Amino acid sequence: MTGPVSPATEPNRSDRRAELMLGALASVVLVLIAGMLVFVLTKAWPSFSHNGLAWFGSGGNVDDQLIDIFNSPANPDKYEYTLHAWPLLYATALVTVGAVAIGLSFALFAAIFIVEFAPDRLRAVLEPVVRLLAAVPSVIYGLIGILVLVPFVGNHLIGTETKKSVAYVVQLSGNSMLVAVVILTVMITPIMIALIVDALRAVPGSWTEGAHALGANRWRVVWTIAVRAARPAIVGACVLATARALGEAIMLSMVSGSVGFAPNPLDGLTFFVEPMRPLAATIVDNAEGLSVKPLGQTLYAFAAVLLVSSLFLSLGAWAVRQPMKRYGVRP
Amino acid sequence: MKHRLPLVVAVAILAVAVPASTASARTTISMSGSTSVAPLAAKLAKGYLKAHPGAATFRLAQGGSDVGVADVAAGRVTIGNSSRDPKGTDPGGLVWSRIARDAICIATNSSNPVSGLTQAQVQAIFSGSVRDWSQVPGSPKSGPIDLVVRTAASGTQDAFQKIFMGSAKVSSSAAQKASNGLVAQSIKSDPNAVGYVSLAFTKGLNDARYKGVACNLRNAKSGQYEGVRNFWMVTRGRPTGGALKFIRWIQRSKAAHAITATGWVPIRG
Repeated sequence: MTGPVSPATEPNRSDRRAELMLGALASVVLVLIAGMLVFVLTKAWPSFSHNGLAWFGSGGNVDDQLIDIFNSPANPDKYEYTLHAWPLLYATALVTVGAVAIGLSFALFAAIFIVEFAPDRLRAVLEPVVRLLAAVPSVIYGLIGILVLVPFVGNHLIGTETKKSVAYVVQLSGNSMLVAVVILTVMITPIMIALIVDALRAVPGSWTEGAHALGANRWRVVWTIAVRAARPAIVGACVLATARALGEAIMLSMVSGSVGFAPNPLDGLTFFVEPMRPLAATIVDNAEGLSVKPLGQTLYAFAAVLLVSSLFLSLGAWAVRQPMKRYGVRP
Repeated sequence: MKHRLPLVVAVAILAVAVPASTASARTTISMSGSTSVAPLAAKLAKGYLKAHPGAATFRLAQGGSDVGVADVAAGRVTIGNSSRDPKGTDPGGLVWSRIARDAICIATNSSNPVSGLTQAQVQAIFSGSVRDWSQVPGSPKSGPIDLVVRTAASGTQDAFQKIFMGSAKVSSSAAQKASNGLVAQSIKSDPNAVGYVSLAFTKGLNDARYKGVACNLRNAKSGQYEGVRNFWMVTRGRPTGGALKFIRWIQRSKAAHAITATGWVPIRG
């Protein structure tokens, strides 16, 4: 700390004005979020109220149910709402958890390398590239997926025998969980790397220097001091990555298989190449039918689930971060 | 993340250049709807302006047949383009004017030159009762059949169900794609795939004959090819003013018929 800051004896008028303005802006954001939540939930309500908790369960074929909803009769009393969205929820959870888990382990080590071990010249290239990758629009990843990865997986990784063995249940064409998770991981890892790098840099030098002075080697210092101190930021990075993965729609709609199937872990290796379709991708694929009222309400119900889960995600992350904050650096 | 949702219907706005010859206020004809109708509508708008310079200003957006119908019912556009026939749940007070007919082709990967399919075979394949190419006569392949279809809201899906499938149900294990282009891409990259697309999207694919008739423009015009559906322009109430003139021109003038005939079947009358 350098000398004392100039003492503010009385509140400055322009400070006060800035405070009011910024406060108002922040409140507008809050009102917007609350308004959005209320709007989506109101729109979605008929779908939830007709199905009750069964909405979240499994049963029947979810694509057939969506088609029936789309083909509802004109009479509002006879609208079809029956839906068991489990395969879509399960697919969303699978790709999100898969991508964030793989992405986190990769991002953590990549960030440690960049901050602690990379030679200066390599670092000068690596960091801007990572930040650039974080900004690539998802539709580009989707195009790479359907033009390169999906045909590769479909024609080279899946044998005809495997395709035959499950042909009566599901078709394996390369549009799969594997491709979805791989591309999603590539999409979210750069953001995580960038955030974790910033956090590791923010660890006070005196802490790591102290550890060095006690004779610990670089790896031990990074792992036991810097990474530990950066844990709140790492959780924050995971939350941002999860939110992006949850809401990713276009890319997943292009590569994930376009069929409401719940991949079965008991199928062994085939499990990874089975198609599926997460919630956000389902909204994109069916957006053409938004004008059919019950289908629109069902799509709003998907949106509501995504919205509420990202709210809970933020709350959960806040709760997890509390005990870590005592010795941590702020993200 | 959430703000991306409304953008899902990638609405491509295509401004058709208008010669700035007349200074007077021109009528604006705005259209939205079917992605299958959009290429034809753009060509017709250009042709109309060539025939009647400065008669109107066009704005063309896409979004899908259902979007077009909803937009025109709400008064957001002058004309809604639809590639499906009217149905019971459509809003009341709409007038449907038929502007052209379009062929739907059954397509397979070019490495799988299936020569022809009967209606019974199409139904068996798409309903999932035949699941292996070795059971399909004329296919050199063996291996499971990958079905590629459209989402329920698609006009092409609606037409396919009515014309080809009748009361048979499309298998629920089929992959549902959101556009003609995505279906074509899936068939191109998967040797075992079969799907259906609008005639304009069959480049690079193998078109199977349907009931012994090749899927091409000539057969669609002559009426021999049966997999043909209607393109509609939908207005709220009877078309008036600029929209009426435009639709009449499409239906009656020789120039419009010539434009339509480059890829679709013109309507006489």
